[in-house]
Amino acid sequence: MKIIETKELKKIYRLGKIEVNALNGVDVSVESGEFVAIMGPSGSGKSTFLNMVGMLDTPTSGEIHINGYDVTKISSSMRAEYRLKHIGFVFQFFNLFMELTALENVMFPMMLSNHPFYEERAEELLDMVGLKARINHLPSELSGGEQQRVTIARALANKPKLLLTDEPTANLDTKTTKEIMELFLRLNKEQRQTIIMVTHNPELGAMADRIIHFRDGVVVEE
Amino acid sequence: MPHEVHSVLFYSKKDIFKNRKIFIFITLAIIFATANIIFVNGLMDGMVSYDVDNTVESSIGHLNIYPKEDERFIDGLGIKEQRLKEMKEVDAYSPRLSVSGVLSNKELSFPVVILGLDPDKEGRVTRLLEKLDSGTAINSNDNAILVSSRLAEDLKLSAGDEATLAFETGNTREYKVKGIVRTGNLDFDSTTIIMPLNEANRQLGIDNKASVILIKLQDKEAADAYKPLLMQELEVSNVKTWKEEIEFLLRFSEAWRSFARVISAVGLIAAAVSVGIIIYINVIHKTRQIGIMKALGAKDSFVFKIFIMEAALFGVIGVSIGDVLGYLAIKYTEAYPFYDAVMQAWISARFDYYLLYNATLVSFAVTILSGVYPAIKASRVDIIKAIWGE
Repeated sequence: MKIIETKELKKIYRLGKIEVNALNGVDVSVESGEFVAIMGPSGSGKSTFLNMVGMLDTPTSGEIHINGYDVTKISSSMRAEYRLKHIGFVFQFFNLFMELTALENVMFPMMLSNHPFYEERAEELLDMVGLKARINHLPSELSGGEQQRVTIARALANKPKLLLTDEPTANLDTKTTKEIMELFLRLNKEQRQTIIMVTHNPELGAMADRIIHFRDGVVVEE
Repeated sequence: MPHEVHSVLFYSKKDIFKNRKIFIFITLAIIFATANIIFVNGLMDGMVSYDVDNTVESSIGHLNIYPKEDERFIDGLGIKEQRLKEMKEVDAYSPRLSVSGVLSNKELSFPVVILGLDPDKEGRVTRLLEKLDSGTAINSNDNAILVSSRLAEDLKLSAGDEATLAFETGNTREYKVKGIVRTGNLDFDSTTIIMPLNEANRQLGIDNKASVILIKLQDKEAADAYKPLLMQELEVSNVKTWKEEIEFLLRFSEAWRSFARVISAVGLIAAAVSVGIIIYINVIHKTRQIGIMKALGAKDSFVFKIFIMEAALFGVIGVSIGDVLGYLAIKYTEAYPFYDAVMQAWISARFDYYLLYNATLVSFAVTILSGVYPAIKASRVDIIKAIWGE
């Protein structure tokens, strides 16, 4: 079953009088439970694609179907609601709330969605990513790898259908990168978590079920 | 909706307590602005009330009968007094004679207002004769005078001294200064001497006349309602209630109150601008985190509420402490009044619950308003620009 399908997706940015075609007619589909890597040189449109699929940005034209539903025409409020309940994000720079502990960071999306047992589930998720002993630590007291694991736990808080990650290991050392990738693979295999990962690293890309190559705003190879 | 409030409150609390120095700075600004509103307005109320009470206590009755227009004295004083005695709503009355003269002590002379009154009757209507700074009060048959405090200073007179009083009729006579009176009313204290009504009549060669009759009613608040009846019964046309008498004073007091409000507003605006700027700076510093929050699924309205809630939390804490501080400051001056050299009186602020209600409402509303612009700014943060800095 297709969880994502884009049709003729275009995004044009205007930088003063210059128009930049970040996406120039992208047709991509992702099956539920797939682990897809998106690769390509800088400026090829892969992060823009991720933003569109993650409903963080709106396309200039084209369609994005998530679970068969065209999400390009819904309001910003509904997009927020959809992101909250169905999409998890893992960003390159960890992006945790610095004033909240690891536990509170993971609790936060569940508090937004009115999850009845947000604290217990946050503890479970942190246990799953191997941070049970660090739940009451602030991000500033955690290593880069630990912070990224908190981000992953937070992304999984509301049991999203789709996990989107943008260069999740770019700031991590080799050992930690391996641990994070093992975590993604485990989530994908054991929980059939659909994952779309943007990466520059061919070795990481090779761990995915499928690689989609972007260049100049179009898909050049699948 | 309740869960949203819970989430908003959860994050807002974490955010405002994160930086203690900023928290203390903002809270102090609100505390002092709120306390300032309460204290300055309470002080103004105290001064105004003192002035009004003092004037009502020492200078006027609840109803005051004046001569007809273009006439100098009220005629037929005896008949009017007889009727006043029969009126059950009238608690007491005191006729006064007010004429001009010159008081001299050795080489020093000053024009004065001679106030002739019956000490026994006056004592039942006003507390004027209780306001002795030194010496003793006069009796109906004394050949002595009371001199107001500033006038006594100007003439270098003390209780027990002798002074020469020249009446407008040309009569001149030596009187013993029996006491010095200090009412706190600048005009009165600078120009007035008090003497028994009988003696004043005798020296002026008049009888059965008064410049004003002060009337004390059983109920001060009934003055407006009773005025027409009194005019009819006594066949007098020029009667003023105590409120009409102090109308100018009340208007003057209102001007002072407006001044106090301006002082309060300046303090409050300064505090509100500080709070607004700090919340705004916080929003700028947190742009990335706001972007993340929105990426996770927080709606624009949620982000807006977070920063309004932060302003509200600052308001609740700052205004509450400010209320207590303002209240304590007023209570302190009530316990330890300070001496006002201009009014020559001990002044204290006066507490009333309306001060608390007003200060709480205004400070809290202004604090919330100061958070509105930063909150709007935060709610409009673009996710892409915030997270990736594009």
